[in-house]
This record gives sequence, C-alpha cells and structure tokens, in this order.
Amino acid sequence: MRLHEFEAKRIFREYEIPVPKGRVVKGPKEAKEASVELGLPVVLKAQVLVGGRGLAGGIVVCNSQEEVEAKAKELFSKEIKGLLPEEILVEEKLPVKDEIYLGVTVDGYEGRPVLLLSKRGGVNVERLAKEDPTAIISFPLPVFDGMYAFQARNLARDLGYGGATLINLAKVIHGLVRVFYDYQALIAEINPVAVLEDGSVSALDAVLELDNSALKRLGKEVPSPTSRIKNPLERKGREIGVTYVDLEGDVGIISSGAGLGMTSMDIIGSKLRPANFLETGGGITEDLLYKCMDLVTQKPNLRAILINVYGGINPIHEGAKGVVRFIKERGLNIPIVAKALGNRQAETWEILKEGGIHVVTETATEKAVERLYQILTGKEER
Amino acid sequence: MLISEDTRVLVQGITGRIGKVQTKYMLEYHTKVVAGVTPGKGGEEVFGVPVFDTVKEAVEKTGANASVFFVPAMGVMDAFLETVSAGIKLIVVVPEHVPVHDVMKMREYAKKNNCLAIGPTTPGILVPNKGKMGIMPASLFRQGKVAIVSRSGTLSYEFAGILSDNGAGQSVVIGMGADPVVLTNLVDILQLFEEDPRTEGVIIVGEVGGFQEEMAADFIRAMKKPVGAYIAGRLAPPGKRMGHAGAMIRGDAGSWERKVQVLKEAGAEIFLSPIEAGDWVKRHGLTN
Repeated sequence: MRLHEFEAKRIFREYEIPVPKGRVVKGPKEAKEASVELGLPVVLKAQVLVGGRGLAGGIVVCNSQEEVEAKAKELFSKEIKGLLPEEILVEEKLPVKDEIYLGVTVDGYEGRPVLLLSKRGGVNVERLAKEDPTAIISFPLPVFDGMYAFQARNLARDLGYGGATLINLAKVIHGLVRVFYDYQALIAEINPVAVLEDGSVSALDAVLELDNSALKRLGKEVPSPTSRIKNPLERKGREIGVTYVDLEGDVGIISSGAGLGMTSMDIIGSKLRPANFLETGGGITEDLLYKCMDLVTQKPNLRAILINVYGGINPIHEGAKGVVRFIKERGLNIPIVAKALGNRQAETWEILKEGGIHVVTETATEKAVERLYQILTGKEER
Repeated sequence: MLISEDTRVLVQGITGRIGKVQTKYMLEYHTKVVAGVTPGKGGEEVFGVPVFDTVKEAVEKTGANASVFFVPAMGVMDAFLETVSAGIKLIVVVPEHVPVHDVMKMREYAKKNNCLAIGPTTPGILVPNKGKMGIMPASLFRQGKVAIVSRSGTLSYEFAGILSDNGAGQSVVIGMGADPVVLTNLVDILQLFEEDPRTEGVIIVGEVGGFQEEMAADFIRAMKKPVGAYIAGRLAPPGKRMGHAGAMIRGDAGSWERKVQVLKEAGAEIFLSPIEAGDWVKRHGLTN
C-alpha cells in the first residue's frame, strides 16, 4: 500500500527529515487560508496515488491568493489518471539550488534493500539508470543491520557536499533508511531532496510504499489498505478476502490462483472481453465462493462466467456448493462454464452439474474458454 | 533431483487444518514424511507421523533432512531460522503473505548455511513417482523428461496436466514462489534443471512483475536443453497487483511485452497459451 505524500511526510518528519512548511486542505477556501498562513508563493499538490502526477498537471505554483483559490478549485475537480484528489497539500515554495534523488527499495533479485542516490534528481530515475547509469550511486544495504550514520556521511561526501550541507543531507539519507527498516517498507523515496541556497535541505516529495503483509505487526498508525481502494468492486473483493481487478468486458472470472486467473483473463481476451480478474488464493470455502459469485455478478451487463479452479490446497468441492447455492438462491441464468481439477474433482463435477453449470473436464483453460465461446455465439445450447 | 528415496520430510505446522490434510496427500503420494513439528504439541501423532515440539528434536529422533512449511505467515521467519539452524538443507515455504523484510532475512540466512529454500507462496516441489513436498494435486503429474518451474502454483498444475495429456511426463516440477523476493531465484532453479541428467527439456512459467525472467536470460541463452516459456498477464493493467504480491507492472518494468521479448531473444520458445506446450513437447521428442 502506498501512502499519500502528506502522510509519508508526517512520518519522515518524525525521523528528522526536513519537509517544506505545508497544510493539507479539503477545499479551495481552505487552500486560500493556508496560503495566507504560509506566505506566497505556494505550491498546490493534488494528493493522488499515481505516478507522473506533476506531468499530468497535478502540481501548480501560485503567486496570489486569488490564484490559489481558483487553481485549487480546478485541481479538486480534475481527474489525474482517473482519480480525483480528496486532499491538496499546500506548501511554501522554497529557493532550490540542487535536486537530489534519494530512494531505498527492495532489490527483488538480490533479495536485499538497496539505496539509490543521484545528483540528478527530479527526473525519472529509471530512465536515468538506462541513459547514464554512472549518474546513480547504488549502495546495497545489509539485510539484518541497516545503516550507520557515518555511511550516510560518506555518501553525502561522494555526492560532492561538505560542511553543514553534508551533515544535513546525511541526516536525510540516514533518516530515510531508518524509515524503510522501521516501517518494513517496500519503497521509501524522496525525489527530490532539495538543497537550498542557504545550505539547508528539504524533502520536496515523499513516497512510502508499505508491505500489506507486515502492517499489523508494525505497531504504528497507518491507514487501512481497504480504504485506499477507490473502485467499489475491488474494495469489496478485498473485504471478502480475494483479489478482484475490475476490467472493461462482460465475461466474469473466478479462479483459485493468480497465474490461472491471469491466464483465464488472457485467453478470454483473445476472443471475448473479460469483466474482471478474480483469484481466491488458498482460502476457498463454500461461503467464499458464494461471495465471489455475488461479487462477480454485480458487474453490469455480465454475459457469462468462467470458473477455473484447482484442488491443490483448496477444497474445491466445498467451493462448488457455494456457487450452486448462489445460482439457486438468486435464480441466476447466464451461462457458466467451470473447469475444476485436482483433489476431489469427481465430487466437484457432480455438484456443479447439478447446479446447471457446464463442466469441462479437459486440462487446458483454452478448452473451457472455447466451450464458453461456443455457448455465447449460439453454436451450443445454453 | 531434490526428492529421492533418501529424502525424509518434516512437516512444520502439521497439526493445523491445512498441515494435516496436506500430510495425508503427501503420504498417499508415497512421500517419506517422518516427522511433524508444532511447538506445544510434541507427543501427538498425525496419520501415524510423530509430532515434536522443536525441529532440533525432530531431526535427532527421525533423521529428517527436508522440511515443508504450513506455518502461519507471521511465524514463518522464526520457524525458518529454527529449521536452518537444525541443519536441514531443503525447505519449502508454502504460506503466502510472509512480510518481504522477513523473506530477505530468511534468504540471507539460508544462503549463508548452504540451504536450498523454495518460496514463499509456492505449491512446492513434486518429483513424479518419488514424492512431493507441498500442495500440488498429484493426479495431474506423470513421470517423464520435462522439468517445469513456475511462479504460479495453479499454472504449474495446468502445465503438468497438459504435458501429461500429451504423453510427456515430468522429471520435476517446482513452484518458485510469487513474492517480490523469493528464496531461490529462477536462474538458480534453471541451473539445477540443466545439470539434472533426467531432465531433457525445460518449461518456464512466468508472469508479469519483477525481473526474474529478464535476469535469467543470459543463462537461458547458454542452456543446452530446449526451453519453452509462458508469461501470464498479457492483459494485466499496469499498477494493479494481480493476486501475487510480486505480480505488478510498474511503469514499463515487469511488462508482458518486455519479458516475452527478452526470453525470445534468449532462445526460448514462447507459448502464447499453455495449450501450446502440448505441441512443443512432441516436436522436441520429450514424450515418454
């Protein structure tokens, strides 16, 4: 789960990372008040959880109070990559000399944290890595030990800073590494850290992506991941304990694994249009599949459903009962094709057939989708 | 290959709901399950398998030399460190939702102690006619010449099933796990396959997200055995987690197009759908 900039900055501040003076506002009037308090000029920053926010027009500099109110009004009604901001962060505009990129992330291949640092901050660091890898310092961090303060000072020195600026920058580097470890984060990033005319530093942006699997034991106050999901069907999926990704088509998918779900989506997409991706993970029960049916059928204009499950860790015969119970209770009458293989498959097929579901006993998902296609195009009776 | 007559399996979390059922399935597949561990339940039995309080005791009393985990996610790291400390050299971590910071520590500890660990979020390892450590449903597998490594559990079953339907059995099937950090990388598993005398062909089942497939490209290029590869998630929207914690496209990193391109350039034959693996095994003489 990624936190909003203003939330990440609150955390960074606790780790003695300086951030610009700012206020979080929920409306244009409040934005204007904030600009009076902070002093002009100010920067308005839409709080949306998408990359490339600046390029999409989500960050605006304002020089008068009238401008603040007008631009804030615009930002609150402007969708950025499909999302409307609920908050705007109003910040003082600082006189920036240098922009430094600073990020701590998980190196998935090496299996350890890595700190990335570049004097050419503000740009896309991935692109910079491709175009000029020498512009980025990559500093692998030990898995068990984190980082010592002197190592941060060495890095600041490597970037060419000295004196008070070196101390200030080293504190930010060390602070961010500590945030990363304390919050068991996946990404902690400041792009850019601004070095100001007077030698002080300030985190102009803040990214903190947390590991949903670690949230409960952090012992820290963090927002609930469910509250972050804007799409109502995706949110409901999370509430019932499955992964649901909303798509634009009209053929529903229920699968018992991520890979199988993606494959179902990909194969359906070659002839028909998938309405969603849904995978249950290893927790299938009768009740869970009942809820999955309820969720998938909430999609408007749904034409058919593909159920694609394996009985490895999952008791698919239990799941089948939930599907059939849903069909009977709700009188659902769109075609459903099911492929269910593995432990207790024969039992599962009986239950599904009794519920009027078309059961495919071949292994390849392709065959199940083919059957669905035949039914939908009228080549086979429903 | 990994599981043989000498493999003596310990089941951790054997008294839990899933641990129990899966122990039964592993025994039915003639896996030598010699011990279970659940702290506090020492002295009990599960399907005739003795349960111990600690891994150390289980190893001492039964000679267990491999372990499979059905432990709650939050307890996995502790149990893992216990198991490596007890000298076990092969570990399969089935549970999902293990915190990434824990996985990094487990990985480092396993490497330091020369332990081969698979997962987390893995269906495990199955060697047809020898045994299985994990949750793979046995009915889909046949003994043969093709090794499969898969980031997805369910797709490892699907590929094994399609191969079996086409008369091509498997030498070994490994679920490598689907988290952002895995205990053993794809390239290291491919190396096991390349060196295994019973394996004559290799199938890689990848998915969008991460860099595992990309980082294995150089090794694949140098492999002597034929390699077929499939990537799930062609239609996955960027920025969405597709079920697995590691299955997310970030910008252009981890995209389907990129992975397919890199694997193709490395000399792997790309399957656009799992069913195409059926033809591939026939063309490469990999049927039984």
